[in-house]
Amino acid sequence: MHLSVFSLGLFLVALLSTPALATSALTITIPPSNVLPNPNVLPAGTHATLTTLTTTENNQHILTAPLTRSATFLFHHLPASTKPESYLLDIRSPEYVFAPLRVDVAADGSLLGIWETFRGNPWDNRGAEKFVADTTTTTTTVASDVTVDAKVLARRGFYEERSKFSPMALFKNPMILMALVALGFTFGMPKLMENMDPEMRAEFEKQSRSSPISGATRSAMTGGGTPGNFDLAGWMAGATPRPAPGAEAATSGGVATGRESGGASRRRG
Amino acid sequence: MWLQATLLLLASCVPSSLAIYRDEVNHIDYHHALLGLPASQSTFFLKPSAASNASLLYTLSEKSLLGAVNPKDGSLVWRQNLSRSALPVAHPSAHGLLRASEGTNALVSALGDYVSSWSALDGKLIWENWFEGEAVADLELLELEDVSAAPATKDTVALFGGKAGVVRRLDGDSGKTKWEYLDESGDIPIQLSSSATEVFYVSLQPSARKGYRIKVVTLDPLTGRQTQQQILSSEGDVFSADSVLFVGANTASPIIVWADQSHKTLKVNVIGTKQVHAFDTDNSSGESISSITVHAPKKLESLPHFLVHYETESTTWAEVYHVDLTSALVSKAYELPRLQGWSVFSTSSKDANVYFTRITQSETTVVSSASHGVLGRWPHQAPPMEQALHSVSEVVAKGDTVAVRSAAALASGDWELIRNGQTEWTRYEALAGALAAAWVEEDAQEDLAHQLEVEGHESLYGAYMHRVKRHARDLQHLPEWLKGLPKRIFTSILTDEVSNLDGFGIVRPVIVATENGRVYALDAGKHGAVSWKVKAADTESWNVKAILTQPGSATIHADDGSSVTLDVSSGEILERTPGTTKIRSVAVAYGDTAPVTVGIKEDGAPLKSVDGQGFFVTLSDDGRVLGWAARDNQTPAWQFLPPPGEKIIHATARPSHDPVASIGKVLGNRSVLYKYLNPNLALITAVGESSATFYLLDAISGRILHTSTHQGVDPTQPISSAISENWFAYSFWADAVDSSSAKGYQLVISELYESPIPNDRGPLDSASNYSSITNLPLPHVISQAFMIPEPISHMAVTQTRQGITVRQLLCTLPSSNSIIGIPRPVLDPRRPIGRDPTTTEAEEGLFKYNPFLEFEGKWYHSHSRDVAGIKTVLSTPTLLESTSLIFAFGGDIFSTRVTPSQAFDVLGKGFSKLQLVMTIVALTAGVIILAPMVRRKQINAIWKASS
Repeated sequence: MHLSVFSLGLFLVALLSTPALATSALTITIPPSNVLPNPNVLPAGTHATLTTLTTTENNQHILTAPLTRSATFLFHHLPASTKPESYLLDIRSPEYVFAPLRVDVAADGSLLGIWETFRGNPWDNRGAEKFVADTTTTTTTVASDVTVDAKVLARRGFYEERSKFSPMALFKNPMILMALVALGFTFGMPKLMENMDPEMRAEFEKQSRSSPISGATRSAMTGGGTPGNFDLAGWMAGATPRPAPGAEAATSGGVATGRESGGASRRRG
Repeated sequence: MWLQATLLLLASCVPSSLAIYRDEVNHIDYHHALLGLPASQSTFFLKPSAASNASLLYTLSEKSLLGAVNPKDGSLVWRQNLSRSALPVAHPSAHGLLRASEGTNALVSALGDYVSSWSALDGKLIWENWFEGEAVADLELLELEDVSAAPATKDTVALFGGKAGVVRRLDGDSGKTKWEYLDESGDIPIQLSSSATEVFYVSLQPSARKGYRIKVVTLDPLTGRQTQQQILSSEGDVFSADSVLFVGANTASPIIVWADQSHKTLKVNVIGTKQVHAFDTDNSSGESISSITVHAPKKLESLPHFLVHYETESTTWAEVYHVDLTSALVSKAYELPRLQGWSVFSTSSKDANVYFTRITQSETTVVSSASHGVLGRWPHQAPPMEQALHSVSEVVAKGDTVAVRSAAALASGDWELIRNGQTEWTRYEALAGALAAAWVEEDAQEDLAHQLEVEGHESLYGAYMHRVKRHARDLQHLPEWLKGLPKRIFTSILTDEVSNLDGFGIVRPVIVATENGRVYALDAGKHGAVSWKVKAADTESWNVKAILTQPGSATIHADDGSSVTLDVSSGEILERTPGTTKIRSVAVAYGDTAPVTVGIKEDGAPLKSVDGQGFFVTLSDDGRVLGWAARDNQTPAWQFLPPPGEKIIHATARPSHDPVASIGKVLGNRSVLYKYLNPNLALITAVGESSATFYLLDAISGRILHTSTHQGVDPTQPISSAISENWFAYSFWADAVDSSSAKGYQLVISELYESPIPNDRGPLDSASNYSSITNLPLPHVISQAFMIPEPISHMAVTQTRQGITVRQLLCTLPSSNSIIGIPRPVLDPRRPIGRDPTTTEAEEGLFKYNPFLEFEGKWYHSHSRDVAGIKTVLSTPTLLESTSLIFAFGGDIFSTRVTPSQAFDVLGKGFSKLQLVMTIVALTAGVIILAPMVRRKQINAIWKASS
């Protein structure tokens, strides 16, 4: 229904402009931009297409315009049809991405309007207006030659950059940094210890013997204690850490299997 | 906490990109940019601009491709597909025309109703024009001596056939018609010719009795008005347009040459005069003359000399004629000797001098048009050259000596450049007509496989002894291997390639069958160079349906039911079976023993029944899909007819090698969605007037598992589809059908699951068997559609050995001449719509749905190459799980290898062996320095503790 109202609207516009000049030409220019400073570098295979649905009325569904020497695309005669047509204008280039345009052509082949369009949006959702036929002066003056600018959106990067070997990158690596710090400790600590006065050293040694870190390390080495008992395979499979044998009785009624319990609680370090 | 950190670290280790490195170009891929066989009248050497000294080789091929080739190395400079712009021609036999003039940087081409002018240097358009309902019969560039035309451009005169002959002068800058001359007499327009001051329009006027009279109308080049008309009485000789051998182009004195039917007399008329000179052909051999061709220079300033080339079944000779400009008299100057075998002639001119180059199977000779003395003679290297059809030459004269280079189009479809008798390059243009291709299966592993089979069937002791013996036998290769070891180590450090991958099936040769009856083998290790070629069929339209490979050999099946078996290493023809019935396609039944091939008739019925399990799904010419049990070829098991108004255009099934690594998809919360894995799926595409319907069928029972219909679809635009594992994809052009719909190309991806609920396997649960005929559960289908910027003309899926590697959807983009691989994770129909993914979804790798899918540069397997005209893309696994081979053919030939999940099982070029060696050296140095220190410390500790 929407379509019919829409096309009726277009048709009215077409009716208004029918006395005007038939078959107008459309020129698309590529202005230099940041992405494409020199449009003349575009390869010869670049071309522009106007596409719409093929019906029995128009058997010329795709119009093609090759790239000219002046980096433009020229559509000579837009085809006349029994009803107004709405075309999608694309510029085909593997390397450069161009913005698509919507080109409305009246039944007699004259241009009605050109707008920016957005892919993946409703066709009626038009963007900035590039050209619109002057419907107020219906009698004679409709531009027969229309020129619009194409917009280059981006340039596709086909290639992957290979990472170069550089010593700075090596030193930015955390593993290397950690190794360097460890190296520093190995060489630096004895020197530091020697420079300490005997009382402080005795105290330090005493402290380090009873420190929790060394205790944990010792227990991990003997195989007891919680952190050393981490079940990696179980964690991967999504099971809850198996409680200590003693605690089993207390939680037996609670969690049945690991599968039903939430995932978030499991992922503690 | 540390676990999360590790995960993050791991994630950052996996590179997100998969593009090709710049230094891998030409290493992992190769590309033959082809034009098709050059047409004889539309090929020439030309200096693209007045300033440049080097000339390019231009041609308009039989495939309507216009291209410029660098004569130095045979590389393609640019090309244009004229058939893209030309309107569908009423008579398909229309051949293209290409003309150019030195120093203008412009070429003028015509195809059917389409005339266009292109910049010679870079192939960009100067102007184009259509003349609806007419077809261009001849083109000439006006070489006017008056200075009224701007010197930079030259106008074109074009002769149009159709209802009436029309001569038009087209402006050299805009292509607009300056004047036109309409010939409504009903004569058959043949050709145009022009001199410095006049344009001649040559047509055939039917005479009262039989035959035609040649009518020459002289036109004023400035106004197009008829100034003179002459009728030559040729009705006894000329019976069709082909009887006129030559109409001279742009020489100072253009000529018309024709011969009588029996090739006994040659008649020459200098245009503008009434006089007809008759020459008896000097045919002393008993054979009749099979063809006469005339070669004349095309430049205005050249001497008015021409060469007539006579050909009989076994010999060729030529005569050179001179035209006297003042008296318009034609006289025979000299004769070139009669030689056995074929020869081709070509003309080239330098200033006023005209040279004729003759190429025979054993030598190239150059003579001047003025005298019969041989200026240069170069014998060809053995073996004798293949028969050439036509050639173009460029002669450079330095004092008394000359140098020549000739581009010869061979009967085999190759295009060869011969410089002073040496073959400089060969372009295998016949490959542009590739119809089928297959990777070769080498039989190197065959012996080992056989040995292992023997071991498997023996007793435990016997197998053990067999193996010990085999290994003992292998020891004889040990000294050789040891000898080669240092060399291998050194080369592996020095070469680019980190590891030699030849043994992993990475560089497999490909054999290609072309429509002119040739079979080529392309060597992947040498940038796709042709390692052998053979003529396998004696036809110009060999409609190959399939190539099936066995270890060591390949069988090529044509549509007439015949087949040819070739040895894959040498191209030797091992076996031929004559054709019986016309077939539509070839099916392969993998039985218990060797695979059996079954031809499918045009009505869809298999030619023969096959013992054993299996089934066929066939398409018939009347648009039905038929299912057959392998052992019954009389009555189909089921048939599928689309609803009235719909027509089946395509059917596709899962690839024969389609391993599934995991039967389910693990979700973020560790639950599993089970895939619907039916090996017997067929995806049928049917189109209506403006709709497309995709039917997913079970191939055993013919049941429809899923249907999707799209409205506003253009059935004339490419509709492609692919199916693999538990998903299928298709693409089409869809128009806006209501106010909320979009206009453009769409790509739809659908995944099939056993049930919508995770951890649920649906009604079948974990049953080990199921039946397609009773109680086949329907899949749960999840789909998502994307708008894409370009049409996709062909789809394929990458294949790897185990199917663990992520798959890519390989799409051929005909409008930008590229091949891309869209990674499957991007095309996941479970991407969240309208919201950001939750943490569990993000863990699965899902990201927010965007209706528009822009093709990223990293997906372009063809990167900056212009891979045109591709019709089929093949993929095959290698022994490396990470790597899949791709081969594309149909127009160009393109091959590459892809690693959709990165080359995780190979060391890439980025792996620096030198760095590794340096690190080891540094570590060794560290150990050497630290070891005494540690030892001293330990000793100190023992002594000090005890003290």
